[in-house]
Amino acid sequence: MALPALLLSAAALAGVGATVDPAAEVVAWTVDAGTSAALVEDHRAPTITVRIEFPAGKYSPWVRAHHAVEAFEHQDDDPARALKKRADALAAEVSLEVDDRAATIEGTCLSADLDALLALMKDVLTNRDYDEKELRRAGREQSIEWKGNDTNVSFRMHQSVARAMFRDADDPRRLRWEKPPSVETGAAALAEARDALVRIPGRVVGFAGDLTRAQAERAMVGLLPPVDPRAPEGLTPRFGPLVGAAERPKDTPIRIRKLTQVYFALGRDSLPWDDPRRPAYLVANHVLGGHFYSRLYVALRHEGGETYGAGTREEGDVAPGLYAAATFTRAPNAKTTETKLRGVLDVFHAQGITEEERKAAIGYLTGSRAFGRQSPEQILERYLVERRLGLPPGKIDADVDRAAALSLDEINRFIDDFYDPAQFTMVRAVAE
Amino acid sequence: MLVASILLAFAATPLPTGAIDRTLPNGLEVTIVPDRSMPLVATQIWIHVGSANEDADSRGLAHLFEHLMFGGSAAYAKGDYSKFVTAAGGDENAFTSEDETVYVSEVPPDAVEGVIRREADRLRNLIVSQANLDNEKKIVTEELRLRTENDPMARLLVKAQKALLGRHPYAFDPSGSKEDVQRTTVEGARAFYDRYYRPNEAHVVIAGPVDPDASLALVEETFGRIESGGQGASDVPPLYGWPFPGKLALKEDIPPVEVALVGVPLPPADAPDAWAVEVLLKLLTGREVDPAREIVVTKRRKAIEAGIEAISLRRGGGIVFYSASLPYRREATALRILDETIRELDKKEWLSDASLAAAKRSLLLEETREHRFAEALADRVGRERWWRGDAGLAFTRAARIGAVSREDVAAAWDRYVRDGARIRVYVKPEHVPFAIRMFGWLYPLFS
Repeated sequence: MALPALLLSAAALAGVGATVDPAAEVVAWTVDAGTSAALVEDHRAPTITVRIEFPAGKYSPWVRAHHAVEAFEHQDDDPARALKKRADALAAEVSLEVDDRAATIEGTCLSADLDALLALMKDVLTNRDYDEKELRRAGREQSIEWKGNDTNVSFRMHQSVARAMFRDADDPRRLRWEKPPSVETGAAALAEARDALVRIPGRVVGFAGDLTRAQAERAMVGLLPPVDPRAPEGLTPRFGPLVGAAERPKDTPIRIRKLTQVYFALGRDSLPWDDPRRPAYLVANHVLGGHFYSRLYVALRHEGGETYGAGTREEGDVAPGLYAAATFTRAPNAKTTETKLRGVLDVFHAQGITEEERKAAIGYLTGSRAFGRQSPEQILERYLVERRLGLPPGKIDADVDRAAALSLDEINRFIDDFYDPAQFTMVRAVAE
Repeated sequence: MLVASILLAFAATPLPTGAIDRTLPNGLEVTIVPDRSMPLVATQIWIHVGSANEDADSRGLAHLFEHLMFGGSAAYAKGDYSKFVTAAGGDENAFTSEDETVYVSEVPPDAVEGVIRREADRLRNLIVSQANLDNEKKIVTEELRLRTENDPMARLLVKAQKALLGRHPYAFDPSGSKEDVQRTTVEGARAFYDRYYRPNEAHVVIAGPVDPDASLALVEETFGRIESGGQGASDVPPLYGWPFPGKLALKEDIPPVEVALVGVPLPPADAPDAWAVEVLLKLLTGREVDPAREIVVTKRRKAIEAGIEAISLRRGGGIVFYSASLPYRREATALRILDETIRELDKKEWLSDASLAAAKRSLLLEETREHRFAEALADRVGRERWWRGDAGLAFTRAARIGAVSREDVAAAWDRYVRDGARIRVYVKPEHVPFAIRMFGWLYPLFS
């Protein structure tokens, strides 16, 4: 489409009178034995996102052993920058990322450029001309950035918690906070790792935006190399045992130079996303630390001005990770704040929540689902998250409906079990 | 192309069908953009005062006042606003920058009325008490410790901002300093409120699935009753033309690299060539291949990392060319390499008809995606009104960018980069590991 026509399309975008099905959902189908597809159709705006997800990420021992993270994330770095220049010429946004459980290539373009975007993504996924100098430079940069973690409070606390909570040194949830080994592998080996990664069964091609299923099906043709039904050995993450609460150190101080505050994380292992008690957890967590007038915020910020921020953090998924009640304060005020932090947890555990708090939490959990339904990309992402974690489609939203059906007693019984202070241990960052 | 640009400059900026853009008799500006395809409604109350409008007596108050605004008003107790929005499934927040203070909320449609009533009440009926001020002073001080005092990179930026901008109103961190916070009195806070928190200093933006006429009637019933008054903010001088120091040296507890920076100031957001500057910034900073990085890192291998960054403020901004090297290279050499890079870029190989068309398409893509989100749309409307004087520009950006020619972009480069006053900054780390200090110079031999 010529630019003037596109500009006219944009002028019509303002949205008044535009029609969209607010309940737009994912249409999914099987392409072959190892590949599926998903589409969220939305014709409000002339843009399309293509997101291809391969089912192996940083948690996979095979990925770590073969430097597949670097192989995947640097595959558009050819020595002449030809692939990136093509993306620029196309005005497309192409990103490559490997997270804990998946490797993803995502491209977004104006609808008229879909064919060119698909051709570019295909060439990225088959590029074997890695820029070895750029790889060495990136390794050096990563090493320097690693030094910056010495003074990064959040990183140091995460590292400490992971070492205390996961028993095995090679547990992937622990390794993600350790310095990655430098990449000594050459371009050929990296290309081989990438080639293997993109052929692993279980991959999915997601489309979101201004296209139909017929267009999506056409787009799939020849986009990916054939699946190799023999998945590489060691692909599946191996999660080791957790260190029991009684065995964990009760208090772990981390010393960081020049700190003028003390940072607290009172933590335990998180509740897996597929645990049947998850709906009760959603309500309890919201009341304890999930909003600006939560129990933690009121006690530590609004009533006493001890801190700027207080709340809960959850970092696990279907595998338990870290769950913590966290805050910080000026160094001389550490004792007062720690007492209050522990006090909030003690009272929460002993007394549970009130009916008024339950209703407000359900109002939030129900209403806030709209935040994830503003764009077709968000709806697709939600589908892919559930798929990646092996959850039934719609499980995340359904948990909110289940939460709304729980009685106050059911929620408080969960609190009595999960928020037992004996299960929590303290990590604190203090001045060196 | 020049004719087209002139015509566009004088053209009306039509809003989408059904949208309303109006100034009430008390001076309050209101823009309502209905879009029934969105699931959430965004409201934004733009107060046209930021840290750059503070004087020596009110330093730090724009940000501190943002906190005080959540303290309760005549009709609503402290915490009521947040509890109301959260229980509806929404989100509310606020931010203070150099140029403005903005109160934002996103809620399901049936909660909009409650938000508007609460926003209107706190615009004039806020209770500024000693107890609330004392508590917020403690909270803001903890925020400053978190964001600045305990973050080496933030410490560096605040130091650089102060040293570079000197007496310019943008010299101060929008969050204020601990000393500013401690100095604030209830009387000072009330005076600030009376001066700036007035309908004639504010812009209400509502975007999302609303009935525009009913929404306007609600704003008139609530905000429309508030009397105008106060005293507007003093104007902030543009950054372009400001007498910056030519050179600055800084040291901070950053990772073991030395960073060289060469910056040039840009004109205000409402300058006649602002659209050309926007396209220029897209070509230099918004693409996969950074032209400065290609020269410094890829071709010449003179740094571990390099690139171009942009800074945007209402009364100007900047383009910053930077490189990061292990601490063995001499300061003069690193800065010379950046000057040579700018000379190389002056050949304008990065600017062609094709690259210009691609940059415009990229800006169009960004805008298209932005318009799906009520909050992003409301932010764009508020920003265009305050920064460029016309909320309608949020809907004609694509056409204005489309009218920018290759010659316009080249002229913007020549004026602001090639011929602009350059500011040079060199940053050294406080701690350098022994191995790097001794053997870092070997790095280029093996890279």
